[in-house]
Amino acid sequence: MTRRLLLFIIVILSLTLLAFGCKQKRPEQVGDEESRGKGKIAVVISTLNNPWFVVLGNTAKERAEQLGYEATIFDSQNDTAKESDHFDNIIAGDYAAILFNPTDADGSIANVRKSKEAGVPTFCIDREINANDVAVTQILSDNYTGCVEMGQYFVKRMNEKGKYVELLGILGDNNTWNRSKGFHSVVDNYPELKMVSQQTAEFDRTKAMEVLESILQANPEIDAVFCGNDAMAMGAYQALVAAGKADKVMVFGFDGAKDVIDSIHDGKIVATGMQFPKKMARMAAEQADEYIKGRKDFPQKVPVAVELVTQENIAKYTAYGRQSEQ
Amino acid sequence: MKKACKYTAAAVIITFLVYHSIYFENLEDIKQQRQRETFNAAEYARDFWDNQLFSVLEKAVDVKELIELFNTNMNEAIRKYGKTPGVSRIYSYLIRGNGKILTIGEDFLQVSIREPKTNPDIKITTGFYIPGNAVRDASGLIDVSEFSDTMKFNEISGEINKIVVKEVIRPFLDKKPQVGKTIRLFGATQVAQDAFEVKEYQLVEVIPIRLELE
Repeated sequence: MTRRLLLFIIVILSLTLLAFGCKQKRPEQVGDEESRGKGKIAVVISTLNNPWFVVLGNTAKERAEQLGYEATIFDSQNDTAKESDHFDNIIAGDYAAILFNPTDADGSIANVRKSKEAGVPTFCIDREINANDVAVTQILSDNYTGCVEMGQYFVKRMNEKGKYVELLGILGDNNTWNRSKGFHSVVDNYPELKMVSQQTAEFDRTKAMEVLESILQANPEIDAVFCGNDAMAMGAYQALVAAGKADKVMVFGFDGAKDVIDSIHDGKIVATGMQFPKKMARMAAEQADEYIKGRKDFPQKVPVAVELVTQENIAKYTAYGRQSEQ
Repeated sequence: MKKACKYTAAAVIITFLVYHSIYFENLEDIKQQRQRETFNAAEYARDFWDNQLFSVLEKAVDVKELIELFNTNMNEAIRKYGKTPGVSRIYSYLIRGNGKILTIGEDFLQVSIREPKTNPDIKITTGFYIPGNAVRDASGLIDVSEFSDTMKFNEISGEINKIVVKEVIRPFLDKKPQVGKTIRLFGATQVAQDAFEVKEYQLVEVIPIRLELE
Protein backbone atom coordinates (compact mmCIF):
# COMPACT_ATOMS: atom_id res chain seq x y z
CA MET A 1 0.00 0.00 0.00
CA THR A 2 2.78 2.38 0.99
CA ARG A 3 4.67 1.63 -2.23
CA ARG A 4 1.55 2.18 -4.32
CA LEU A 5 0.89 5.46 -2.53
CA LEU A 6 4.47 6.57 -3.09
CA LEU A 7 4.22 5.72 -6.78
CA PHE A 8 0.92 7.58 -6.97
CA ILE A 9 2.45 10.70 -5.37
CA ILE A 10 5.45 10.58 -7.71
CA VAL A 11 3.16 10.40 -10.73
CA ILE A 12 1.05 13.31 -9.44
CA LEU A 13 4.18 15.35 -8.67
CA SER A 14 5.56 14.73 -12.14
CA LEU A 15 2.30 15.77 -13.74
CA THR A 16 2.15 18.90 -11.57
CA LEU A 17 5.72 19.88 -12.43
CA LEU A 18 4.93 19.32 -16.07
CA ALA A 19 1.89 21.52 -15.80
CA PHE A 20 3.80 24.36 -14.08
CA GLY A 21 6.73 23.87 -16.41
CA CYS A 22 4.61 24.68 -19.42
CA LYS A 23 6.06 28.19 -19.27
CA GLN A 24 9.39 26.81 -20.46
CA LYS A 25 10.63 28.20 -23.69
CA ARG A 26 10.16 26.46 -26.95
CA PRO A 27 13.28 25.67 -28.91
CA GLU A 28 14.49 28.45 -31.16
CA GLN A 29 12.60 28.69 -34.38
CA VAL A 30 14.52 31.41 -36.15
CA GLY A 31 14.36 30.57 -39.80
CA ASP A 32 10.74 29.43 -39.76
CA GLU A 33 9.79 32.82 -41.11
CA GLU A 34 11.01 31.74 -44.53
CA SER A 35 7.96 29.53 -44.75
CA ARG A 36 5.67 32.38 -43.85
CA GLY A 37 6.22 34.18 -47.13
CA LYS A 38 5.34 37.86 -47.61
CA GLY A 39 2.78 38.50 -44.98
CA LYS A 40 2.39 40.97 -42.16
CA ILE A 41 5.01 43.22 -40.57
CA ALA A 42 4.45 44.80 -37.18
CA VAL A 43 5.80 48.27 -36.41
CA VAL A 44 6.05 48.72 -32.64
CA ILE A 45 6.78 52.31 -31.60
CA SER A 46 7.66 53.47 -28.08
CA THR A 47 5.21 56.37 -28.21
CA LEU A 48 3.10 58.13 -30.81
CA ASN A 49 2.77 61.12 -28.53
CA ASN A 50 5.77 62.72 -30.23
CA PRO A 51 5.75 63.72 -33.91
CA TRP A 52 9.29 62.40 -34.42
CA PHE A 53 8.19 58.87 -33.54
CA VAL A 54 5.07 59.23 -35.67
CA VAL A 55 7.35 59.92 -38.63
CA LEU A 56 9.52 56.94 -37.68
CA GLY A 57 6.50 54.61 -37.45
CA ASN A 58 4.71 55.86 -40.55
CA THR A 59 7.86 55.66 -42.68
CA ALA A 60 8.55 52.08 -41.54
CA LYS A 61 4.95 51.14 -42.29
CA GLU A 62 4.98 52.82 -45.72
CA ARG A 63 8.26 51.16 -46.72
CA ALA A 64 7.06 47.73 -45.56
CA GLU A 65 3.89 48.20 -47.59
CA GLN A 66 5.92 49.25 -50.64
CA LEU A 67 7.84 46.00 -50.25
CA GLY A 68 4.61 44.04 -50.39
CA TYR A 69 3.74 43.48 -46.76
CA GLU A 70 0.67 44.32 -44.79
CA ALA A 71 1.95 46.59 -41.99
CA THR A 72 0.38 47.59 -38.69
CA ILE A 73 1.62 50.16 -36.15
CA PHE A 74 1.45 49.39 -32.41
CA ASP A 75 1.85 52.22 -29.88
CA SER A 76 3.58 51.14 -26.64
CA GLN A 77 2.83 54.49 -24.95
CA ASN A 78 6.26 54.34 -23.28
CA ASP A 79 5.06 51.37 -21.22
CA THR A 80 6.96 48.07 -21.35
CA ALA A 81 3.86 46.17 -20.15
CA LYS A 82 1.86 47.47 -23.13
CA GLU A 83 4.83 46.68 -25.33
CA SER A 84 4.84 43.12 -23.98
CA ASP A 85 1.14 42.74 -24.76
CA HIS A 86 1.81 43.94 -28.30
CA PHE A 87 4.53 41.33 -28.71
CA ASP A 88 2.18 38.60 -27.46
CA ASN A 89 -0.44 39.65 -29.97
CA ILE A 90 2.12 39.93 -32.76
CA ILE A 91 3.50 36.45 -32.05
CA ALA A 92 -0.02 35.02 -31.96
CA GLY A 93 -0.94 37.01 -35.05
CA ASP A 94 1.56 35.28 -37.34
CA TYR A 95 3.60 38.35 -38.29
CA ALA A 96 6.70 37.84 -40.43
CA ALA A 97 8.85 40.48 -38.68
CA ILE A 98 8.81 43.27 -36.13
CA LEU A 99 10.25 46.73 -36.76
CA PHE A 100 10.80 47.80 -33.20
CA ASN A 101 11.44 51.10 -31.48
CA PRO A 102 12.02 49.93 -27.88
CA THR A 103 10.65 51.63 -24.81
CA ASP A 104 13.41 50.63 -22.42
CA ALA A 105 16.97 49.48 -23.12
CA ASP A 106 16.78 46.77 -20.45
CA GLY A 107 13.04 46.31 -20.03
CA SER A 108 12.44 45.59 -23.71
CA ILE A 109 15.00 42.76 -23.98
CA ALA A 110 12.54 40.12 -22.78
CA ASN A 111 10.06 41.08 -25.47
CA VAL A 112 12.61 40.75 -28.25
CA ARG A 113 13.81 37.44 -26.81
CA LYS A 114 10.22 36.23 -26.71
CA SER A 115 9.71 37.06 -30.37
CA LYS A 116 13.02 35.46 -31.36
CA GLU A 117 12.05 32.26 -29.61
CA ALA A 118 8.71 32.32 -31.38
CA GLY A 119 10.52 32.65 -34.71
CA VAL A 120 9.57 36.28 -35.37
CA PRO A 121 12.69 38.35 -36.18
CA THR A 122 13.00 41.82 -34.62
CA PHE A 123 14.76 44.83 -36.13
CA CYS A 124 15.38 47.65 -33.66
CA ILE A 125 15.16 51.24 -34.89
CA ASP A 126 16.63 54.37 -33.29
CA ARG A 127 16.69 53.11 -29.70
CA GLU A 128 18.77 50.14 -28.67
CA ILE A 129 18.29 47.25 -26.30
CA ASN A 130 21.17 46.25 -24.02
CA ALA A 131 21.67 42.88 -25.62
CA ASN A 132 23.41 41.83 -28.80
CA ASP A 133 22.03 38.37 -29.35
CA VAL A 134 18.27 38.72 -29.63
CA ALA A 135 17.45 41.27 -32.32
CA VAL A 136 18.55 40.56 -35.91
CA THR A 137 20.06 44.04 -36.10
CA GLN A 138 19.75 47.42 -34.37
CA ILE A 139 19.83 50.56 -36.49
CA LEU A 140 20.66 53.31 -34.02
CA SER A 141 21.15 57.04 -34.01
CA ASP A 142 24.76 57.81 -33.06
CA ASN A 143 23.61 60.07 -30.27
CA TYR A 144 26.91 60.28 -28.41
CA THR A 145 28.89 61.52 -31.40
CA GLY A 146 26.06 63.85 -32.38
CA CYS A 147 26.12 65.40 -28.95
CA VAL A 148 29.91 65.72 -28.97
CA GLU A 149 29.45 67.97 -31.98
CA MET A 150 26.54 69.71 -30.27
CA GLY A 151 28.73 70.27 -27.19
CA GLN A 152 31.45 71.87 -29.29
CA TYR A 153 28.94 74.21 -30.89
CA PHE A 154 27.39 74.97 -27.51
CA VAL A 155 30.81 75.95 -26.10
CA LYS A 156 31.43 78.20 -29.09
CA ARG A 157 28.04 79.92 -28.84
CA MET A 158 28.44 80.40 -25.10
CA ASN A 159 31.95 81.84 -25.51
CA GLU A 160 33.11 79.18 -23.05
CA LYS A 161 31.25 80.66 -20.10
CA GLY A 162 27.77 81.02 -18.59
CA LYS A 163 25.02 79.18 -16.72
CA TYR A 164 22.91 76.51 -18.31
CA VAL A 165 20.19 73.94 -17.63
CA GLU A 166 20.05 70.42 -19.01
CA LEU A 167 16.71 68.66 -19.60
CA LEU A 168 17.14 64.91 -19.78
CA GLY A 169 14.89 62.39 -21.53
CA ILE A 170 13.56 59.11 -20.14
CA LEU A 171 16.09 57.85 -17.63
CA GLY A 172 15.79 54.20 -18.68
CA ASP A 173 16.57 54.97 -22.30
CA ASN A 174 20.19 54.69 -23.45
CA ASN A 175 19.64 57.59 -25.86
CA THR A 176 19.15 59.89 -22.88
CA TRP A 177 22.56 59.06 -21.44
CA ASN A 178 24.44 58.76 -24.72
CA ARG A 179 23.29 62.30 -25.54
CA SER A 180 24.05 63.68 -22.11
CA LYS A 181 27.46 62.01 -21.90
CA GLY A 182 28.46 63.11 -25.39
CA PHE A 183 27.51 66.69 -24.53
CA HIS A 184 29.31 66.64 -21.18
CA SER A 185 32.41 64.99 -22.66
CA VAL A 186 33.01 68.41 -24.23
CA VAL A 187 31.27 70.99 -22.06
CA ASP A 188 32.64 69.77 -18.72
CA ASN A 189 36.13 70.71 -19.87
CA TYR A 190 35.20 74.38 -19.56
CA PRO A 191 35.10 75.33 -15.87
CA GLU A 192 33.31 78.62 -16.52
CA LEU A 193 30.32 76.78 -17.98
CA LYS A 194 28.13 76.01 -14.96
CA MET A 195 25.21 73.61 -15.10
CA VAL A 196 22.76 75.02 -12.53
CA SER A 197 20.18 72.25 -12.91
CA GLN A 198 19.83 68.87 -14.62
CA GLN A 199 16.35 67.33 -14.55
CA THR A 200 14.33 64.85 -16.54
CA ALA A 201 11.33 65.96 -18.56
CA GLU A 202 10.95 62.50 -20.10
CA PHE A 203 11.22 63.67 -23.71
CA ASP A 204 7.86 65.38 -23.23
CA ARG A 205 7.03 68.92 -24.37
CA THR A 206 4.55 69.77 -21.61
CA LYS A 207 6.74 68.33 -18.88
CA ALA A 208 9.72 70.28 -20.22
CA MET A 209 7.75 73.50 -20.00
CA GLU A 210 6.69 72.79 -16.42
CA VAL A 211 10.16 71.64 -15.33
CA LEU A 212 11.88 74.69 -16.81
CA GLU A 213 9.29 77.05 -15.30
CA SER A 214 10.11 75.58 -11.93
CA ILE A 215 13.88 75.76 -12.53
CA LEU A 216 13.62 79.39 -13.61
CA GLN A 217 12.08 80.33 -10.28
CA ALA A 218 15.22 79.17 -8.47
CA ASN A 219 17.66 80.14 -11.23
CA PRO A 220 16.31 83.15 -13.11
CA GLU A 221 19.68 84.08 -14.64
CA ILE A 222 20.52 81.35 -17.10
CA ASP A 223 22.09 81.68 -20.52
CA ALA A 224 21.14 78.42 -22.22
CA VAL A 225 19.08 75.24 -22.06
CA PHE A 226 20.34 72.00 -23.57
CA CYS A 227 17.47 69.58 -24.21
CA GLY A 228 17.79 65.88 -24.93
CA ASN A 229 15.16 66.08 -27.68
CA ASP A 230 13.26 68.59 -29.77
CA ALA A 231 9.92 68.17 -28.01
CA MET A 232 11.58 69.29 -24.77
CA ALA A 233 13.32 72.12 -26.64
CA MET A 234 9.92 73.42 -27.79
CA GLY A 235 8.55 73.09 -24.24
CA ALA A 236 11.59 74.91 -22.86
CA TYR A 237 11.18 77.67 -25.44
CA GLN A 238 7.50 78.08 -24.44
CA ALA A 239 8.54 78.43 -20.78
CA LEU A 240 11.12 81.06 -21.74
CA VAL A 241 8.56 83.00 -23.79
CA ALA A 242 6.19 82.96 -20.79
CA ALA A 243 8.99 84.21 -18.55
CA GLY A 244 9.98 86.94 -21.03
CA LYS A 245 13.44 85.42 -21.49
CA ALA A 246 13.19 83.90 -24.96
CA ASP A 247 15.54 86.51 -26.46
CA LYS A 248 18.20 86.09 -23.78
CA VAL A 249 18.38 82.32 -23.32
CA MET A 250 19.63 80.02 -26.08
CA VAL A 251 17.82 76.71 -26.57
CA PHE A 252 19.50 73.65 -28.07
CA GLY A 253 17.49 70.59 -29.06
CA PHE A 254 18.10 67.17 -30.58
CA ASP A 255 16.07 65.24 -33.21
CA GLY A 256 15.49 67.39 -36.28
CA ALA A 257 11.71 67.59 -35.78
CA LYS A 258 9.65 69.92 -37.95
CA ASP A 259 8.76 72.53 -35.35
CA VAL A 260 12.39 72.89 -34.27
CA ILE A 261 13.69 73.07 -37.85
CA ASP A 262 11.10 75.82 -38.44
CA SER A 263 12.18 77.51 -35.19
CA ILE A 264 15.85 77.43 -36.23
CA HIS A 265 14.79 79.09 -39.50
CA ASP A 266 12.98 81.74 -37.44
CA GLY A 267 15.92 82.25 -35.10
CA LYS A 268 14.07 80.97 -32.04
CA ILE A 269 16.03 77.75 -31.42
CA VAL A 270 19.81 77.82 -31.83
CA ALA A 271 20.59 74.28 -32.97
CA THR A 272 19.49 70.66 -33.07
CA GLY A 273 21.03 67.30 -33.88
CA MET A 274 19.49 65.90 -37.04
CA GLN A 275 18.67 62.27 -36.63
CA PHE A 276 17.35 60.55 -39.69
CA PRO A 277 14.13 58.75 -38.70
CA LYS A 278 13.03 58.22 -42.29
CA LYS A 279 16.38 56.78 -43.31
CA MET A 280 16.50 54.46 -40.28
CA ALA A 281 12.90 53.30 -40.70
CA ARG A 282 13.39 52.54 -44.39
CA MET A 283 16.60 50.64 -43.65
CA ALA A 284 14.83 48.54 -41.02
CA ALA A 285 11.97 47.63 -43.36
CA GLU A 286 14.38 46.80 -46.19
CA GLN A 287 16.56 44.67 -43.93
CA ALA A 288 13.51 42.81 -42.62
CA ASP A 289 12.58 42.08 -46.23
CA GLU A 290 16.12 40.87 -46.99
CA TYR A 291 16.06 38.68 -43.87
CA ILE A 292 12.76 37.12 -44.85
CA LYS A 293 14.21 36.42 -48.29
CA GLY A 294 17.14 34.57 -46.73
CA ARG A 295 19.93 36.99 -45.84
CA LYS A 296 21.20 36.33 -42.32
CA ASP A 297 24.53 38.19 -42.01
CA PHE A 298 23.51 41.50 -40.44
CA PRO A 299 25.78 43.56 -38.19
CA GLN A 300 24.23 43.60 -34.73
CA LYS A 301 24.50 47.38 -34.23
CA VAL A 302 24.56 50.01 -36.95
CA PRO A 303 25.08 53.57 -35.71
CA VAL A 304 23.60 56.18 -38.04
CA ALA A 305 25.42 59.52 -37.85
CA VAL A 306 23.64 62.55 -36.43
CA GLU A 307 24.33 65.93 -38.05
CA LEU A 308 24.45 69.32 -36.36
CA VAL A 309 21.84 71.75 -37.70
CA THR A 310 22.38 75.41 -36.93
CA GLN A 311 21.18 78.76 -38.18
CA GLU A 312 24.26 78.79 -40.45
CA ASN A 313 23.57 75.51 -42.29
CA ILE A 314 19.77 75.24 -41.95
CA ALA A 315 19.36 75.61 -45.74
CA LYS A 316 20.70 72.07 -46.23
CA TYR A 317 18.05 70.55 -43.99
CA THR A 318 14.35 69.98 -43.83
CA ALA A 319 12.27 68.29 -41.13
CA TYR A 320 13.61 64.81 -40.35
CA GLY A 321 16.41 64.84 -42.90
CA ARG A 322 18.57 66.55 -45.51
CA GLN A 323 17.03 68.51 -48.36
CA SER A 324 18.97 66.36 -50.82
CA GLU A 325 17.57 63.10 -49.42
CA GLN A 326 13.87 63.93 -49.45
CA MET B 1 -8.59 6.79 -1.19
CA LYS B 2 -9.32 9.67 1.14
CA LYS B 3 -5.74 9.45 2.31
CA ALA B 4 -4.51 9.46 -1.26
CA CYS B 5 -6.45 12.65 -1.97
CA LYS B 6 -4.93 14.30 1.09
CA TYR B 7 -1.42 13.31 0.02
CA THR B 8 -2.09 14.49 -3.51
CA ALA B 9 -3.37 17.86 -2.31
CA ALA B 10 -0.34 18.22 -0.02
CA ALA B 11 2.01 17.27 -2.85
CA VAL B 12 0.40 19.80 -5.20
CA ILE B 13 0.63 22.57 -2.58
CA ILE B 14 4.27 21.73 -1.80
CA THR B 15 5.15 21.62 -5.49
CA PHE B 16 3.37 24.92 -6.07
CA LEU B 17 5.27 26.53 -3.18
CA VAL B 18 8.63 25.11 -4.30
CA TYR B 19 8.01 26.24 -7.88
CA HIS B 20 7.25 29.78 -6.79
CA SER B 21 10.20 29.91 -4.40
CA ILE B 22 12.70 29.59 -7.20
CA TYR B 23 12.98 31.27 -10.57
CA PHE B 24 14.97 30.74 -13.70
CA GLU B 25 16.84 33.35 -15.68
CA ASN B 26 18.40 33.10 -19.07
CA LEU B 27 22.12 32.48 -18.70
CA GLU B 28 22.92 34.81 -21.60
CA ASP B 29 21.06 37.66 -19.85
CA ILE B 30 23.09 37.08 -16.71
CA LYS B 31 26.35 36.98 -18.66
CA GLN B 32 25.50 40.22 -20.41
CA GLN B 33 24.47 41.84 -17.14
CA ARG B 34 27.82 40.83 -15.63
CA GLN B 35 29.65 42.14 -18.68
CA ARG B 36 27.90 45.49 -18.20
CA GLU B 37 28.72 45.57 -14.53
CA THR B 38 32.35 44.55 -14.90
CA PHE B 39 33.22 46.42 -18.09
CA ASN B 40 36.07 48.84 -17.55
CA ALA B 41 36.51 51.27 -20.43
CA ALA B 42 39.88 52.49 -19.15
CA GLU B 43 41.28 48.94 -19.12
CA TYR B 44 39.84 48.25 -22.55
CA ALA B 45 41.42 51.45 -23.93
CA ARG B 46 44.74 50.60 -22.30
CA ASP B 47 44.82 47.20 -23.95
CA PHE B 48 43.77 48.75 -27.26
CA TRP B 49 46.57 51.32 -27.06
CA ASP B 50 49.34 49.00 -25.82
CA ASN B 51 48.57 45.81 -27.69
CA GLN B 52 46.40 46.49 -30.73
CA LEU B 53 46.69 49.97 -32.16
CA PHE B 54 50.33 49.89 -33.15
CA SER B 55 49.79 46.76 -35.21
CA VAL B 56 47.57 48.72 -37.63
CA LEU B 57 49.71 51.87 -37.80
CA GLU B 58 51.79 50.31 -40.59
CA LYS B 59 48.66 50.44 -42.72
CA ALA B 60 48.32 54.20 -42.18
CA VAL B 61 48.09 56.13 -45.44
CA ASP B 62 50.56 58.88 -46.30
CA VAL B 63 48.70 62.10 -45.58
CA LYS B 64 50.03 63.70 -48.79
CA GLU B 65 48.47 60.94 -50.88
CA LEU B 66 45.24 61.16 -48.92
CA ILE B 67 44.89 64.92 -49.37
CA GLU B 68 45.51 64.51 -53.11
CA LEU B 69 42.78 61.86 -53.23
CA PHE B 70 40.39 64.06 -51.23
CA ASN B 71 40.82 66.74 -53.85
CA THR B 72 40.65 64.51 -56.91
CA ASN B 73 38.60 61.43 -56.06
CA MET B 74 36.87 61.40 -52.69
CA ASN B 75 35.04 58.14 -53.44
CA GLU B 76 38.36 56.41 -54.04
CA ALA B 77 39.74 57.84 -50.77
CA ILE B 78 36.73 56.46 -48.92
CA ARG B 79 36.90 53.09 -50.67
CA LYS B 80 40.62 52.58 -50.06
CA TYR B 81 41.15 54.12 -46.66
CA GLY B 82 37.93 55.36 -45.04
CA LYS B 83 36.28 53.65 -42.09
CA THR B 84 32.97 54.18 -40.35
CA PRO B 85 31.31 52.04 -37.70
CA GLY B 86 27.87 52.52 -39.25
CA VAL B 87 26.12 54.82 -41.70
CA SER B 88 27.72 58.23 -41.97
CA ARG B 89 28.89 60.92 -44.37
CA ILE B 90 31.99 61.23 -42.19
CA TYR B 91 34.83 58.73 -42.57
CA SER B 92 37.85 58.13 -40.36
CA TYR B 93 41.39 57.66 -41.64
CA LEU B 94 44.62 56.50 -40.12
CA ILE B 95 47.42 58.71 -41.48
CA ARG B 96 51.18 59.17 -41.29
CA GLY B 97 53.57 61.80 -42.60
CA ASN B 98 56.31 64.36 -42.06
CA GLY B 99 55.85 68.10 -42.11
CA LYS B 100 57.06 71.52 -41.12
CA ILE B 101 55.46 73.44 -38.26
CA LEU B 102 54.08 76.73 -39.59
CA THR B 103 52.01 77.92 -36.64
CA ILE B 104 51.77 77.04 -32.96
CA GLY B 105 48.40 77.92 -31.45
CA GLU B 106 47.00 77.52 -27.95
CA ASP B 107 45.64 74.06 -28.72
CA PHE B 108 46.88 73.21 -32.19
CA LEU B 109 49.81 73.11 -34.59
CA GLN B 110 49.45 73.98 -38.23
CA VAL B 111 51.78 71.88 -40.31
CA SER B 112 52.73 71.95 -43.97
CA ILE B 113 53.03 68.54 -45.55
CA ARG B 114 53.19 69.26 -49.26
CA GLU B 115 55.96 71.14 -51.06
CA PRO B 116 56.92 73.98 -51.03
CA LYS B 117 55.79 73.73 -47.42
CA THR B 118 54.56 77.27 -47.18
CA ASN B 119 50.84 76.59 -46.70
CA PRO B 120 49.35 74.55 -43.87
CA ASP B 121 47.84 71.20 -44.88
CA ILE B 122 46.96 69.76 -41.50
CA LYS B 123 45.99 71.06 -38.08
CA ILE B 124 47.17 68.82 -35.25
CA THR B 125 45.18 68.96 -32.03
CA THR B 126 47.38 69.68 -29.02
CA GLY B 127 44.68 70.74 -26.54
CA PHE B 128 44.06 69.55 -23.01
CA TYR B 129 41.12 67.41 -24.07
CA ILE B 130 40.04 65.67 -27.24
CA PRO B 131 36.42 65.06 -28.18
CA GLY B 132 35.10 62.47 -30.61
CA ASN B 133 35.94 59.04 -31.92
CA ALA B 134 38.66 59.62 -34.54
CA VAL B 135 41.29 57.24 -33.14
CA ARG B 136 38.82 54.50 -32.22
CA ASP B 137 37.09 54.54 -35.59
CA ALA B 138 40.15 55.10 -37.78
CA SER B 139 41.80 52.02 -36.29
CA GLY B 140 38.91 49.85 -37.47
CA LEU B 141 39.73 47.52 -34.59
CA ILE B 142 36.68 48.00 -32.38
CA ASP B 143 33.34 46.68 -33.56
CA VAL B 144 30.27 48.31 -32.02
CA SER B 145 28.38 45.02 -32.37
CA GLU B 146 30.63 43.47 -29.71
CA PHE B 147 28.96 45.61 -27.07
CA SER B 148 25.61 44.96 -25.50
CA ASP B 149 25.14 48.72 -25.18
CA THR B 150 26.76 51.49 -27.18
CA MET B 151 27.55 53.51 -24.06
CA LYS B 152 30.55 51.22 -23.50
CA PHE B 153 31.66 51.71 -27.08
CA ASN B 154 31.57 55.46 -26.53
CA GLU B 155 33.29 55.36 -23.15
CA ILE B 156 36.24 53.64 -24.83
CA SER B 157 36.70 56.68 -27.07
CA GLY B 158 36.82 58.97 -24.07
CA GLU B 159 39.51 56.81 -22.46
CA ILE B 160 41.57 56.56 -25.66
CA ASN B 161 41.45 60.34 -25.97
CA LYS B 162 42.74 60.72 -22.42
CA ILE B 163 45.72 58.49 -23.29
CA VAL B 164 46.43 60.65 -26.34
CA VAL B 165 46.54 63.80 -24.21
CA LYS B 166 48.65 62.27 -21.45
CA GLU B 167 51.03 60.13 -23.46
CA VAL B 168 51.31 61.85 -26.83
CA ILE B 169 50.46 65.54 -26.61
CA ARG B 170 51.93 66.47 -23.24
CA PRO B 171 55.32 64.77 -23.78
CA PHE B 172 55.49 66.40 -27.21
CA LEU B 173 54.75 69.87 -25.82
CA ASP B 174 57.39 69.31 -23.12
CA LYS B 175 59.95 69.20 -25.92
CA LYS B 176 59.08 72.83 -26.77
CA PRO B 177 58.28 72.54 -30.48
CA GLN B 178 59.08 75.62 -32.55
CA VAL B 179 57.91 77.04 -35.84
CA GLY B 180 60.11 75.79 -38.68
CA LYS B 181 60.89 72.44 -37.02
CA THR B 182 59.98 69.18 -38.71
CA ILE B 183 57.65 66.65 -37.11
CA ARG B 184 56.97 62.96 -37.75
CA LEU B 185 53.39 61.94 -37.24
CA PHE B 186 50.94 59.08 -37.01
CA GLY B 187 47.38 60.17 -36.40
CA ALA B 188 43.67 59.88 -37.06
CA THR B 189 41.38 62.22 -38.91
CA GLN B 190 37.68 62.40 -39.76
CA VAL B 191 36.53 63.98 -42.98
CA ALA B 192 33.01 64.39 -44.39
CA GLN B 193 32.53 62.99 -47.87
CA ASP B 194 31.50 66.40 -49.17
CA ALA B 195 34.11 68.39 -47.24
CA PHE B 196 36.21 69.11 -50.31
CA GLU B 197 33.29 70.07 -52.51
CA VAL B 198 33.10 73.53 -51.00
CA LYS B 199 35.41 76.09 -52.51
CA GLU B 200 37.35 77.28 -49.48
CA TYR B 201 40.57 75.52 -48.59
CA GLN B 202 40.14 72.61 -46.19
CA LEU B 203 42.62 72.02 -43.42
CA VAL B 204 42.64 68.38 -42.32
CA GLU B 205 42.33 68.15 -38.53
CA VAL B 206 44.40 65.39 -36.99
CA ILE B 207 44.40 63.68 -33.61
CA PRO B 208 47.99 62.58 -33.01
CA ILE B 209 48.82 58.98 -32.12
CA ARG B 210 52.59 59.37 -32.41
CA LEU B 211 54.14 62.81 -32.60
CA GLU B 212 57.88 63.39 -32.66
CA LEU B 213 60.25 66.22 -33.44
CA GLU B 214 62.97 65.39 -35.96
